[in-house]
Amino acid sequence: MPTSDLIKLMKEKAEAVQAVVVKIKTTKEAFQYTVDLTRQQKGTSVVAMGLGTQDVNLLEKACKTADLTFLKPPLRLHANKIHTALTPVDWGIAETGTLVLDSSSEDVRIATMLSETHVALLPVSKIKPDISALENEINAVLKADGSSYYAFITGASRTADIERVLAIGVHGPQELHILMMEENRE
Amino acid sequence: MIKTAQDIKSYKKQLKEALSDQFLRTALDNFNCAYRENRSAVYEGIDFEEIKKEIAAEKDAALPRLKELFEAFKIHAEAAGAKIHVAKDARQANEIVAAIAKENNVKKIIKSKSMTAEETFLNDHLEKEGYSVTETDLGEWIIQLRKEGPSHMVMPAIHLSRYQVGDLFEKVTRKKLASENIDKLVKVARKTLRPAYLEADMGISGANFAIAESGALGLVTNEGNMRLVTTLPRIHVALVGYDKLIPDLKTMLRILKVLPRNATGQAITSYVTWIKGAVACGSSTTNRKEMHIVFLDNGRLTLAEDPVFAEALRCIRCGACANVCPVYSKVGGHKYGHVYIGAIGLILTLFYHGKENDRAIVKNCINCQACKEVCPVDIDLPHLIKKTYRVVLDQDGKTPVKNVLLSKVLKNRKLFHFILRNAYLVQKPLAKNKGMIRHLPHFFEKEHGFRSLPVIAKTPFRDQWEAIHSHVVQPKYTIALFAGCAVDFIYPEQALALLKVLQKYDVQVAFPMDQTCCGLPALMAAEEETAKEVALQNLKAVTSEKYEYILTLCASCGSHLKHNYPKIFKDASLSPENLKAFTDKIIDVSSFVVNVLKASSKDFNVTGEKVAYHSPCHLCRGMQVTNEPRKLIEIAGYQYVPSKDENVCCGFGGSYSVDFPEISAEILKKKLDDVQATDARLLVSDCPGCVLQLGGGMDKRGRKIKVKHIVEILAETK
Repeated sequence: MPTSDLIKLMKEKAEAVQAVVVKIKTTKEAFQYTVDLTRQQKGTSVVAMGLGTQDVNLLEKACKTADLTFLKPPLRLHANKIHTALTPVDWGIAETGTLVLDSSSEDVRIATMLSETHVALLPVSKIKPDISALENEINAVLKADGSSYYAFITGASRTADIERVLAIGVHGPQELHILMMEENRE
Repeated sequence: MIKTAQDIKSYKKQLKEALSDQFLRTALDNFNCAYRENRSAVYEGIDFEEIKKEIAAEKDAALPRLKELFEAFKIHAEAAGAKIHVAKDARQANEIVAAIAKENNVKKIIKSKSMTAEETFLNDHLEKEGYSVTETDLGEWIIQLRKEGPSHMVMPAIHLSRYQVGDLFEKVTRKKLASENIDKLVKVARKTLRPAYLEADMGISGANFAIAESGALGLVTNEGNMRLVTTLPRIHVALVGYDKLIPDLKTMLRILKVLPRNATGQAITSYVTWIKGAVACGSSTTNRKEMHIVFLDNGRLTLAEDPVFAEALRCIRCGACANVCPVYSKVGGHKYGHVYIGAIGLILTLFYHGKENDRAIVKNCINCQACKEVCPVDIDLPHLIKKTYRVVLDQDGKTPVKNVLLSKVLKNRKLFHFILRNAYLVQKPLAKNKGMIRHLPHFFEKEHGFRSLPVIAKTPFRDQWEAIHSHVVQPKYTIALFAGCAVDFIYPEQALALLKVLQKYDVQVAFPMDQTCCGLPALMAAEEETAKEVALQNLKAVTSEKYEYILTLCASCGSHLKHNYPKIFKDASLSPENLKAFTDKIIDVSSFVVNVLKASSKDFNVTGEKVAYHSPCHLCRGMQVTNEPRKLIEIAGYQYVPSKDENVCCGFGGSYSVDFPEISAEILKKKLDDVQATDARLLVSDCPGCVLQLGGGMDKRGRKIKVKHIVEILAETK
């Protein structure tokens, strides 16, 4: 499948499960989006896991400018205070609008589980057509020595436990935003 | 707490209560309809029939290897820091978990949903040992607060309305809530439970998969609570049934294609999680999670070796067998299972919770095959339910009067037919109106009065045969008619209509006189030996080599002859080739007229009359015939008017409607309402049993909608 079709399908399927999908071109845009969104939602804090030191500094600075608290790991200390969590993800799966994220780091888990809003950064080159296309990658993680915690995330947390009526935002994040980044265009 | 009826009398009392719960009924009906629509949409582009066969084969291959898979899993999981335990039964599993808690000085425990923990009544045990246990799955939390068991395997609180949940949450939060807003109720759970995750010392989860080749657990969830339960506390205990062991990731990914689709109509759940070994954990002094996996046997390893029941272990707990069950949708899960709910619950209850808890509920299957059709791992649920019923009867060492009579009478065709003939004389004085009995005599209980009953025919078809059958000079086809008891003794006019139609197509019809009851009623009563005996009589009576087809007007007889006879003779007491020669020739009237005779609209007069259609369970699912009858209505000059849920059971189910008349009446009610919502004045079906049920119901309603066998309307325009 050509990349443009994959991007289209990924967007369509993710939106079908109430994720917000936005196309961006630079990480800088991602940081601005995160900050703006947080302010818009009247959140006061941002965390980021999985970014390089330089990017962390940039985001921290952007938060400071916007009067937001930038929380640093270990996140367990801030467990109840995380509004927005920004994390790059390892893969996207177009067929189901799924994000794939190695969550073996506890801080990654806390960020993506306890935040009110999860903003995921997905390079479009990492979008695979379907789950079976990732079988080797998943197996490589599961069969490696040592422990692991590996996650598929599709939309925000949800339930239909009351009257089988769909409700979004149960125990996990209440919103999922996917920033699809087209690289090498800077 | 769970109070499953242990005898039929108290069960019927419970059923009565459930049937009068108006909300439960509306909720479940909505659920039932919406589920079917969602499900078909989400399966688009997937060959369900193929994938279910593949998964069934993979599961079947894994079952004899469970111990081997367990050993492989253990090696990998232990290498990654997990501690593996084995519990031979529920009590031992609970004790192991309590011991882990004690050893680690645990006070508070938090749980995500686990049917296996429900199976062992783990919460009760832990609470008795002094631990505080909090369920976090929304539905599970609700039923924990209400001190109830789950009413569904996937949606445990589906029996409750938002208002009932709202009242409950008001008590918990001591705040006034707007219950009509489900979103707000959900946020109450979010807010209230958040601190509990952080305070808990131990998190308990189940697992959907235990992958042998890597030692990872696979979990499929939506709410996000399981992720918190397995992340925040310093200890994680996973309680896993042996049946969750699978060889590899490939198998899991295949099952993942059907599990969410079948369970909730989702292409995938919000979260799919793999956990392997002891992961990083900041609340543990070692910075590593204390990770324990308890494998529960509780009869599974024995079951895995059972030639008949091993199939039940294929179950992946999608809950779909409840979602499509017409009985479940009337009475709800608390009356349709013990811990495990739905068709699979009627089976597993015997093995995991004993015959006492299965004794009454196992009888409550109408055999409509909807569960079998929807099952993503191809479990022959209706068949296994009857097999389970047999085991319950054997374990109880009792034979119900009905069974004694059934086997005595059915085995002796002449006696059986003598009784049917004489029934006419007994019934005659009761028939007041066009051969219908509208008011039953007082020795019947009043719940049987939901439909008028037809009178046994004055002259059964077999007694008319000699006078009416004709010889076709150059027959195009030579077929045998398998009439079935209902056509022979109640509705001979249906067979006469058939003869009229076939004559015009130059079909030579034979009626082998020694044919008898197909045996389905015996099988439904778990009288396997009787079912086998009458099957042999029929195979002898209807010598298949003489005929090109064996046609039946009764879908139930047809599907029984075609698909149950091979199961009955699975013991190879009959050569499979001979049997196949017989079963291959079984055909229903619509398929015969449309596909074999290639009837065209030129053969019929056009009336344009609007006709609604009821698709008999044993035709659409039993014999997989769906298009032909609808086509035939149009070919025969009528206008087919679709109605809602045509493929859903009418509530007849043979003796089911006598054993559970109130449920039968409720299922029928919905069916008749759906037909009345169309502008058809004629309703046809292709099973005399359905005609009896639908016709009796319409008559009782005093509606002008006539109910006929499809062959009768053919004869009218031919």
